[in-house]
Amino acid sequence: MRAFKLVSATDSAQAVALLAEHGPGVKVLAGGTDLLVDLKAAPEAPAVVLDISRAADMKGIAATDAGLRIGALVTHGELTRSPLVRELAPVLAEAARTIGAVQTRNLGTLGGNLVSGVPSMDSGPALIALEARVTVAGPRGTRTLGLAEFFVGPRRTALAPDELLVDVVVPAASLGKPAGFLKSGLRKGQALALVNVAAALWIDPDRGAFRAPRIALGAVAPTVIRAPRAEAYLEGRAVTAEAMAEAGRIAATEARPIGDFRASADYRRELVAVLTRRALAAACDRAEGAQ
Amino acid sequence: MTPLRITVNGREHVLPAPPETTLLALLREHLGLTGAKLGCDVGDCGACTVLVDGLAVNACLMLAAQADGRSVLTIEGLATPDALHPIQQAFERHAALQCGFCGPGVILSAKALLDANPAPTAAEIREALAGNLCRCTGYAKMITAVHAAAQALHGATDERSPRATPVPRLPLPGGGTGGPR
Ligand SMILES: Cc1cc2nc3c(=O)[nH]c(=O)nc-3n(C[C@@H](O)[C@@H](O)[C@H](O)COP(=O)(O)OP(=O)(O)OC[C@H]3O[C@@H](n4cnc5c(N)ncnc54)[C@H](O)[C@@H]3O)c2cc1C
Ligand code: FES
Ligand code: FES
Repeated sequence: MRAFKLVSATDSAQAVALLAEHGPGVKVLAGGTDLLVDLKAAPEAPAVVLDISRAADMKGIAATDAGLRIGALVTHGELTRSPLVRELAPVLAEAARTIGAVQTRNLGTLGGNLVSGVPSMDSGPALIALEARVTVAGPRGTRTLGLAEFFVGPRRTALAPDELLVDVVVPAASLGKPAGFLKSGLRKGQALALVNVAAALWIDPDRGAFRAPRIALGAVAPTVIRAPRAEAYLEGRAVTAEAMAEAGRIAATEARPIGDFRASADYRRELVAVLTRRALAAACDRAEGAQ
Repeated sequence: MTPLRITVNGREHVLPAPPETTLLALLREHLGLTGAKLGCDVGDCGACTVLVDGLAVNACLMLAAQADGRSVLTIEGLATPDALHPIQQAFERHAALQCGFCGPGVILSAKALLDANPAPTAAEIREALAGNLCRCTGYAKMITAVHAAAQALHGATDERSPRATPVPRLPLPGGGTGGPR
């Protein structure tokens, strides 16, 4: 790596101040699993790297009135081990466990994964299915927005250059909502997603029907996307295997995958249909288990 | 340059290093601990695996400055002058290494696993070693060796020993890739 100046922040306010002080040439460093790979390949070093990995208020997982608050610096490994996550939103632990391998999960953070804006990221779909919101801090103060609005394009987010992602909140209304996450890659261990899908739903106990189904698809569009037509099809419909299969077929028409050396667009669409059906089935299994 | 204060294998070091120094470069080039290997340099191969505060990490993807004030364990910290560590002994006994380039990383991944989970299943061992690529021995003997080390360390027995039954494939959580549900 080429030489750079390194500054470090111990909380988010100091990090925001350092970002403003050093201007747009600063690169933010959290777990480094994306940034250091990029810097090793980059022809030029950034003027300054801002290490936020010691920002105490951006760590930790807590249940609050608003919901489950997950600091941006929480690692994928911490998500897999957190008793709170396993109890209130186990699908997040399942998704985290599919990221890279143990070593990368112990370094890579949730915030870094979301800010990378890579369409195949494994943290995005489950959080979008649970309608998570993010908190962003900058020199103009703090704002919150839905995670779906945070993603604006491949490797592009709503974050301004002088802003930081501080935390992610899974709203209280989504806690305990039965959900499933499925990923398909070229190998079982340490592989990026060809397609990943998360589904979350309630089952109306009187009518045995889907209520508030949410489906999120990864790696098949410029950003992680919802599948609104498949969701609308399921809303109020009786829970059957056929309904889940049909929702999968509809979701496949909502995906806009590219083909590349890893998989053709058609294959990815087929994966969307199958993984959506299975993610819905996994969520239903979890709903039954909870009753 | 503000000096870094890092405990490596139980010994505290205070040393300056340029900001762009990775933890791997610090260990190998500044401290002369060449056990952790430079393989891919991008997080894929696991040859650089060390434990930081007990957790396995890729030392190639961490700045030395991020390990300031923390405790690092490398392969050099396992054996005593009298004996190899039980995991190393198990790898030797089961011929689980050939060229050995991947070995320091594999053994430290195994150590992190056994510290947290004294009696892992074969699937758990596979998951723990998924980030350590081996180009010559293959993984079957390593899984046997980690089982043997678990027994030696903790007297742990596991009826799903890989000798008794074929080793199951590592399942992705929730049934991920693969066959019908
Ligand atoms: C071998 C390997 C395998 C991988 N496998 C997978 C996989 O299977 N699935 C998957 O989804 N990902 C995978 N990844 C990528 C994954 O590790 C990263 O996306 C990780 O989560 C990024 O987090 P980080 O803390 O390491 O980010 P960093 O590398 O520190 O930062 C990433 C980017 O986000 C910015 N940033 C970080 N945090 C913040 C913040 N709080 N506010 C503002 N900007 C911020 C940085 O400036 C940088 O641009 C893999 C990576 C490697 C090396
Ligand atoms: S050298 Fe670090 S993972 Fe390959
Ligand atoms: S023993 Fe040669 S790479 Fe594993």
